Amino acid sequence: VSGAIQRVVIAGGTPVAWLAAAALRRAFRHRDLHVTVIDSGGGKDAPAGRWTLPSQRGMHGLVGINERDLMRRTGATFKLASEHLGWHGAGSGFLHAHGDIGSDLGATPFYKYLLLQAITGRPENPEHYSLAAVAARLGRFARPMGSDAELTSSFTYAFHLDESSYIAYLREHAARLGVHRIAGDIVDVARAESGNLDALTVASGERIAGDYFIDCTGADAPVMNKIARGGRDDWTPWLPCDRMISALTPPLADAAPLTRITATDAGWLWRAPLAQAALAGYVFSSAHLEERAALVQLEQSVPGLQVSALNRFASGRRQKFWERNCIALGTAAVELEPLAGADLHLALLGIGTLLELFPLDTHSQVESVEYNRIMGEHADALRDFTIAHYRAGRARPGEFWDATRSVPPPPSLAAKLDLYSANGRIVLADHESFEETDWAWLLMGAGRYPDSIEAQIQTRLEKITLAELAPLRARIQQLAASMPPHIEYVRRQSEQAQHAKS
Amino acid sequence: MAEPLKVVIVGGGTAGWMTAAALAAVFRADQCKVHLIESSEIGIVGVGEATLPHIRFFNRRIGIDEPDLMAKTQATFKLGIEFCDWARLGDSYIHPFGAYGSRIAGVPFHHYWLRERAANGAAPIEDYSLAIMAARLNRFALPSDDPTAVLATFGYAFQFDASLYAAYLRVFAETRGVQRTDAKIQDVLLRGEDGWIESVKLENGSTVAGDLFIDCSGFRGLLIEQALKTGYDEWTRWLPCDRAAAVPCENAGPLTPYTRATAREAGWQWRIPLQHRTGNGYVYSSQFISDDEATSKLMSRLPGKALADPRLLRFTAGRRRKTWNRNCVAIGLAGGFLEPLESTSIHLIQIAITQLTDYLSGESLRGHFDPRIVDAYNRWIEMEYDRVRDFLILHYHATERDDAPIWNYCRSMDVPDSLKHKMELFRHRARVVTYKDGLFLEPSWLAVYFGQRIMPTAYDPLADAVASADLTSRLRAVQERIQFAVMQMPTHEDFLERYCSAGKATTAQGRM
Repeated sequence: VSGAIQRVVIAGGTPVAWLAAAALRRAFRHRDLHVTVIDSGGGKDAPAGRWTLPSQRGMHGLVGINERDLMRRTGATFKLASEHLGWHGAGSGFLHAHGDIGSDLGATPFYKYLLLQAITGRPENPEHYSLAAVAARLGRFARPMGSDAELTSSFTYAFHLDESSYIAYLREHAARLGVHRIAGDIVDVARAESGNLDALTVASGERIAGDYFIDCTGADAPVMNKIARGGRDDWTPWLPCDRMISALTPPLADAAPLTRITATDAGWLWRAPLAQAALAGYVFSSAHLEERAALVQLEQSVPGLQVSALNRFASGRRQKFWERNCIALGTAAVELEPLAGADLHLALLGIGTLLELFPLDTHSQVESVEYNRIMGEHADALRDFTIAHYRAGRARPGEFWDATRSVPPPPSLAAKLDLYSANGRIVLADHESFEETDWAWLLMGAGRYPDSIEAQIQTRLEKITLAELAPLRARIQQLAASMPPHIEYVRRQSEQAQHAKS
Repeated sequence: MAEPLKVVIVGGGTAGWMTAAALAAVFRADQCKVHLIESSEIGIVGVGEATLPHIRFFNRRIGIDEPDLMAKTQATFKLGIEFCDWARLGDSYIHPFGAYGSRIAGVPFHHYWLRERAANGAAPIEDYSLAIMAARLNRFALPSDDPTAVLATFGYAFQFDASLYAAYLRVFAETRGVQRTDAKIQDVLLRGEDGWIESVKLENGSTVAGDLFIDCSGFRGLLIEQALKTGYDEWTRWLPCDRAAAVPCENAGPLTPYTRATAREAGWQWRIPLQHRTGNGYVYSSQFISDDEATSKLMSRLPGKALADPRLLRFTAGRRRKTWNRNCVAIGLAGGFLEPLESTSIHLIQIAITQLTDYLSGESLRGHFDPRIVDAYNRWIEMEYDRVRDFLILHYHATERDDAPIWNYCRSMDVPDSLKHKMELFRHRARVVTYKDGLFLEPSWLAVYFGQRIMPTAYDPLADAVASADLTSRLRAVQERIQFAVMQMPTHEDFLERYCSAGKATTAQGRM
């Protein structure tokens, strides 16, 4: 094909940049696609570390990363759940686990049973019906196993990662796949007569020409912005947090496989375990708390805080992620606080969608229309899920919390919450990452229950007694208790991976 | 205990009795009380003698025994629809209820087919669909329960007599407590304060009050339009057909497990084989042909001897602006009309009923219809109609025919942007725009794109990753597996005879 894409140039040294490079290189190895990363470092908005969603494992599989090796080399730990503390007032708390709640009752999802119990005045904690949640609470972990129908495969997991080790690992992996790396800052972005991007120049003076460009540099997106004509959607009226401090800390005494997210008067603090250390961070609104004061608060709540990074951001998204022969991924495309772990997830979805729609030539445009349509819907759905953390439950008092509710929610979220409140239905968009179960975790966790559920389902569920479910609860407890302690599991796996290497 | 919700259904026919049966099956007597008013003087339109596989979920949900239903409605099996003369005179393709091959390395099969076709010349795409191959040979068997079997790559629906289906559901519903009154509606009485429907006045002088009114009165929309003035979005500019002449005839030749839709000089003609007769009709545009001429064309092209005089139907393609307005829900033709080209009429009824029964809970079961619930319902129905609309337009628009004014018009008309984008993406790189909700999935779009001669200029570059020799043998293996499986299947007629012959039907009330 004349004009076929032969050279892809990726700007930025972020995890997204390396994963995009590795994924393209591997998917198109049959035609030896030339992929160059201009490594300008992790970017000024690099956090100290992050928690992820299970979709990350799919991407790792696609690019051929050995999970055990990755964990051993980066000191990563497992994540079975997010724990939200204080989101609906002092003493409140709930889990959003990466796993099923119960198992389907015929064609009816199990959470409907819990909704009905709550409606009839017998609220139950969904955690009792989730192996992932119980194991997370007990600080235990084992990988899912067995066939789909089994309780032992009723969950999935994600990771807690130290950013700089993750980047180093991905960089090396990409190099093994034949990705070229050029270190240096981008000093010039050149366009061809056609209006397409043509080449990037780095500080050394080297000029790197390409057929297709990916901007993974961060929110400033100098490459994308050279040609971008689309506008930006501002999400800050719903999501006022605009700062994140993050840091490495000494290991946690209680290194449960979960991310702890604690509401404060100006945002939320988070804690996550690593194999030899831990992560802490503070996401807050600078209109309600000064940066210096936030750091003091974080230091007070986390003893032994080490190096810290500060990111400034403004929630929102580009209306067009892909224009001409350039696409923006990561924070160059969407800025969203990592509350639901959706930031990296969205970037990985972008990589997957780009593979499916990889342009036939430098001038084809219809792919970008489709990409922008699909990814726009995904981004908005993830925004809604994030906003729902602030709005689904009882309001927490305080100026910051008032601010999160000062304007009506996006119509798509309002429609979802309204319908759920009326009859317990959770309707998903065509392109939406979080599933019914995720919404059920969040909504029940927030203490938000519907006025009724579907009459036909109710008739069926009314026959189920609590006693009938006792064996399920007991089996979950028993299975979770039989798992090894989380950090022990991580250590043992690391030793095995080491042996396998040597 | 609270009073049950009083539901008044205006109009029998397929929509009315499907709704009555579903409400009676889903709700307990203390939750919902159903009263259906129909007039035996008004005939039912009975469109949609051909159905889609989803109807089996509906039947299962309300607890209908399939062989019994089929026997009592003179039903045959349906594996798809054959489209004749659509892109060019002499063309024939089948839109199957089933897949073409299966994904390889995550990439849909048709990309590999396109690649092989360009490189070495592949067999026609039909050869990779079990449903089509079985249909072409008039064979049928139930799909396999083993998801890995080639016999699990298809689904099926029915072709039946819709008036018998309505009669069947009537027995079902009446047995479960639905009250029926045979009367014409004289007047619809609205509440002064909010314009909700309070009651309907019958010609026999009585008045029937209700909490929720279901308008199944057909095209005229007695409640939703005549009483509530809801408004209608017309789609005639894209779907110009506005009339149909329908007539049954004697069966001739083997019973085909598929419906046929043949493009004609001013529209298209259907042929639906049932056990006891064949249904025929000519759907046409009155802009392009007169009623008399259309009727005589139809009568001259019947496959067998006519069994009745042709009946004439008039309609306007489109959708009611709100199918749920105040305390009235329009279901069936009162809610919207899309020609039966893809057998969607009964399906759209089913969607409306399924959504409605899910939305009737809590407060709405007590007659308080939260506007947020109503909006959610309307959005859903709107989305379903709009997606079917685009799919239908594709059949008319993607043609090379220039032998008649209607085809010249449709070929050159401007289509909705949503469809334009879909076609462009397919032409460019064989990518099908898919969605989670909405009726037609990837194989349906593929069948019609390929069948209407939209040949992509390229395929997904990821499909180049498989080695070329491997690909040739994999494609051949798919084709051979299908051929082998089809040869094991009984003929459609033999299968019908065993499974659900109308000759063996028990009496109407028999097994219920």
